[in-house]
Amino acid sequence: MSEEIVVQTRALSKVYRDFWGRQKVRALKSLDLEVRRGEVFGLLGPNGSGKTTTIKLILGLLFPTAGEALVFGKGASDVGKNERLGYLPEESYLYRFLNAEETLDFYARLFDMTPEQREERVDALIKQVGLDRARKRQLQEYSKGMTRRIGLAQALINNPDLVLLDEPTSGLDPIGTREMKDMILRLKDEGKTVIMCSHLLADVQDVCDRIAILHQGELKELGRVDTLLTVADVTQIRAKGLSKDCQNELRDVISRHHGELLEMDNPTTTLEELFLSIVSDSEARPGRRAKVEEVADASP
Amino acid sequence: MVLEDEILPYMQWLLGGEGSQWGALPQFALVMLGIALLALVVGYLFAAARHGILGGGDLVFQTVSSGFREMLEMSPRRVWALARLAMKEAWRRRVVVGLAVFLLVLLFASWFLQTNHQDPAKLYISFVSTATTYLVLGIALLLSAFSLPNDFKTKTIYTVVTKPVRAGEIILGRIIGFSLVCTTLLAVMALCSYVFVIRTLDHRHQVDEQSLTRTESAGELLGFKGRTTLDAYHRHDVQLDAESSGDSRDGADLGAIGNFGHTHSIRVRGDGHEVMHAEGIMQARVPHWGKLRFKDRQGVEKEHGINVGNEWTYRSFIDGNSQAAAIWTFADINESLKSQEGGLDLGLIVRVFRTHKGIVGQAISGGFLVRNPETGVQSELVTFEALDSKISKMSLQRKQISTDGTELDLFEDLVSSNGRLEVVVQCMEQGQYFGFAQPDCYLRLPEASPALNYVKMYLSIWVQMVIVTSIGVASSALLSGPVAMMLTVSFILLGFFRDFFVEVATGVSYGGGPVESLVRLVTQMNVISPMEPGVGTSMIKGADTVLQGFMLSVAQILPDFSSFSTADFAARGFSIPTDRVLQDLTTCLAYVVGLAVIGYFLLRTREVAK
Repeated sequence: MSEEIVVQTRALSKVYRDFWGRQKVRALKSLDLEVRRGEVFGLLGPNGSGKTTTIKLILGLLFPTAGEALVFGKGASDVGKNERLGYLPEESYLYRFLNAEETLDFYARLFDMTPEQREERVDALIKQVGLDRARKRQLQEYSKGMTRRIGLAQALINNPDLVLLDEPTSGLDPIGTREMKDMILRLKDEGKTVIMCSHLLADVQDVCDRIAILHQGELKELGRVDTLLTVADVTQIRAKGLSKDCQNELRDVISRHHGELLEMDNPTTTLEELFLSIVSDSEARPGRRAKVEEVADASP
Repeated sequence: MVLEDEILPYMQWLLGGEGSQWGALPQFALVMLGIALLALVVGYLFAAARHGILGGGDLVFQTVSSGFREMLEMSPRRVWALARLAMKEAWRRRVVVGLAVFLLVLLFASWFLQTNHQDPAKLYISFVSTATTYLVLGIALLLSAFSLPNDFKTKTIYTVVTKPVRAGEIILGRIIGFSLVCTTLLAVMALCSYVFVIRTLDHRHQVDEQSLTRTESAGELLGFKGRTTLDAYHRHDVQLDAESSGDSRDGADLGAIGNFGHTHSIRVRGDGHEVMHAEGIMQARVPHWGKLRFKDRQGVEKEHGINVGNEWTYRSFIDGNSQAAAIWTFADINESLKSQEGGLDLGLIVRVFRTHKGIVGQAISGGFLVRNPETGVQSELVTFEALDSKISKMSLQRKQISTDGTELDLFEDLVSSNGRLEVVVQCMEQGQYFGFAQPDCYLRLPEASPALNYVKMYLSIWVQMVIVTSIGVASSALLSGPVAMMLTVSFILLGFFRDFFVEVATGVSYGGGPVESLVRLVTQMNVISPMEPGVGTSMIKGADTVLQGFMLSVAQILPDFSSFSTADFAARGFSIPTDRVLQDLTTCLAYVVGLAVIGYFLLRTREVAK
């Protein structure tokens, strides 16, 4: 396996069986994938499409019914691969009786780190995920967003080369979602490979270089996000400060060239951007409140 | 003290040899080999059913080979990290409540324990040992059986196994962590219970001066007889010599008064006497045991004496006023064993079987002599008074008198050239019997520390706790919490009744195998009458043969919890032999190693995310 290929699956299949060995569900059907070093790879699909099963097979949490998964050239059941790997599960499955420091210290002890390295890394990660003020609180007192953050911190405790994120933005508020996406892009900038699975398409689109779309356990599409999303026979023009005349002239040009004008109007911002802008403004000017009348007037 | 199985020297027990066909180590290797072969066959059958004949074989080979590799790659650092986690988990799960329960039990124990017991130390030590054992085993059971299944349930195991953690480290970390937690609890319990026993049983009396009466001989004052005041629900008889009434001996020690398993020194204080604190409440006699054989009433050597009707054949009896004798041969006798007086101290426990009542409470006369097994030279018979089950302390003086009246030296004349010495005990009264087992006669070596003996007793509880923890953790690697708990409880119960389990498995017990016993129970049939021949009986016998084979296999790995307890030694004031402690610790280590390996493969072959 090439050094460039971090994860490879060959005809990877998984059938879930009941206690008596009878087939219950065929979760994954002969999946062939290659994830290259330094890319952000997204596994997309509706619920039950086999995304999480794929992640678990790659991690060795499940045994394949057929085929194999290789991570850094090693079999998925080889514990040695975990030295260079970080995993954030769908829910942050952590020991709720530990506090943030104890949690990270425990996971750090599972790696070959000196006490000084451990202390330094734990401190840095707690600050990085914004839990400095809650570092001594037990995780059972954490909100879901805080739990996700400490979950991410534990996934990064060993400064891994490969990070697997299962629904990384699940349960996060828009700010948390944005921070998570920023974190993924930062990991990419650091040269790390990220595999994430999500059914939130916008999140995947924002951060992933390549995606695989799964449906009913089968690979339906695989490729670069920009290539897959490009609509070849539609041209998009975005311009600022055009007059009414200019817009009419553009319509005439399109008509003259036998084109079909699909849309020409003023774009709306996204709700995410509006929300982030309000929160950012509120932090800058605390105490300012929205005027109820204005909101009422604004409503249709 | 009852000691049904002889305690072999450690190395002989471990490697086998004289008196034991198989040592513990070869037995362990054989059992592990059997389990490994069974696991391979079962594992292969399952794998072959899923992946075909070749695929299954390959999978089994991969699992075994990577398993051995991973075991060599285990890191103490990670094991300790997981052990720390287990300790924190136990602590946060309020394990300290167990300690509070124990202290509560101790607080109110005095209400229910009879302090007028003939040997209160035995009662108290047995009580604290039993209470501690049940409580600690319960805590170990709950901690170990539910921890790993809880990790699976909450899926926290996902974040652990996706780190470079080997399955063996998870198993071993938990065993060590929970064992350390329970060790801490056990240490606190040991300390508290020791203080409880000592403080509860410590007491003083006063000499009841009114009760003192003069004892005279030919008009000459010999001393005084009387008794102490009633304290701690008992009183002692007191004998004072003539000088004890003199005020010129203020502070002089007048010896000790002994009964109820302890003694008190008495000192002269002014006009009266001062009885000091109780001594010897807790003892740690160090016995040097010999080999026992018998002679019947005609003087013919026998392996056993008479059975007086007991089903329990631990002790056998000799007739009174006949040539019947119990003969102990002690080995390795030399001057290093001599007592402060220069001779040897002898301890003798006699079970008295009366065929006629005589005077109630009166002792039965017996006699003993010492003999050189090589030359046949023997001392003259010394008589003693034997009360049933009481430990008599006798002294073999350095200077002995032979049967022909010549003076003998104990070590020079009565010990053979290869260091052997015989003690011959006889019952002197017609129609009465003395009963003996091998450990009933022993040479008393210098006493060991009772506190250390107490620690040794708790060490045997520790051994049981570690084994229960190991069983709980190993079984929980595959089973859910409640099922793992049930399995561990089954092991504990069967372990406490292992002897009976083996008897049923080997067909020694009355009533047949498990199916036959069930049929007899349901049909209210007695256990002796043979079953009616027929097809039904044949089927029952056939089913029992299969089940008994299975039970016999289970018995090979069943920990004998009843034999681990050394409370009887400490309660009866005997030092727990070091060989015994080493054997228990080695057995414990064997269980931890064996169960950790089993737990490793159970966890390794389990789909974590299923």
